[in-house]
Amino acid sequence: MQNTIQRDLTINATAERIYNAIATPEQVVKWFPDTLTGEYRQGAQAVFSFGEKHSSSVYIEAASPYNYFAYRWVPGGSNFIGKVLTVPHTLVEFRITELEPGRCKVSLTETGFADLPSDIAASSLAQNSNGWDFMLARLQQYFSKEGK
Amino acid sequence: MTQLAIAQIFKALGDPVRLQIVQRLSNGAALCLGELSKDLGISRQGARKQIQALVSAKVVQLHPAGREVKVQLDATTLAQSRAFIIALEAQWDERLQALKQFTEHG
Repeated sequence: MQNTIQRDLTINATAERIYNAIATPEQVVKWFPDTLTGEYRQGAQAVFSFGEKHSSSVYIEAASPYNYFAYRWVPGGSNFIGKVLTVPHTLVEFRITELEPGRCKVSLTETGFADLPSDIAASSLAQNSNGWDFMLARLQQYFSKEGK
Repeated sequence: MTQLAIAQIFKALGDPVRLQIVQRLSNGAALCLGELSKDLGISRQGARKQIQALVSAKVVQLHPAGREVKVQLDATTLAQSRAFIIALEAQWDERLQALKQFTEHG
C-alpha cells in the first residue's frame, strides 16, 4: 500500500515569493483554498474552504521562511472540522530549494495514508465522488502528459 | 467496488504487521502460509488472524496447494485502493500548477 504522495516541480520565482504564496493567508487563497479562516501560523489551526460546501481544518506543523512549510489535515480537502491532531490525518510538506537565482524546486509530500481509519477513508472517497468524473478526465490528461 | 469495500482495504492495511505481510507479498509471488507467518514478532496464531483479516478485505487470496496453503496478493483490490491515491495525486498536480501560475505570473 502506497503511503506517500510525492510531487516535484520547478517554478521560475524566488524562494521568498513561493514561500509567501504558500504560507501567507492572503496569498494561499489565490491558488489553493477559496477562503481561509482562523490562525494560519505554526502551532495553530485554520480552516480551508473549497466552494460553498467543503471545508477542512488544517494544523500548521511548521513554517520556516523561505524553505519549509508543513500542515496536517484529513485528506480529500473537504472532510474534517475539529482538532486535527486528535484524529488520524496526513502530513503535507512543502520544501523549497533554490536551483539558481529566481528558479526553485518545490517538493510536495503527503504522508500517512495507511494510518487513516476506514470511516475517514470512506468519507474521503464520498467527498471526492462529487468530482469523480471530473477527476477521471484529469487523470487521462495527466497520463497522456506523462506518456509524452 | 463499493466505497465500503475500499474503506475495508484501507482499514486492513492500517496495521504495521499486516502492512509487513503485504510488503513480503509485494513482488506478486505466492508464499506458503507458514513461511509468511515467520518473524513477524507475533505468534503463528496471531499471524494467521492478521492474514485472515487481509483475506476478508480481499487484499490477499488463499490457494490450497497440496498440504500447503499459499497466500498471494489480490492485484485487483490493490488497484482499486491505488485509485484513491491517484485521485489525490491528480488533485496535487492541479494545485501545484496553480501555485506555479500564481508565483510566476500572478
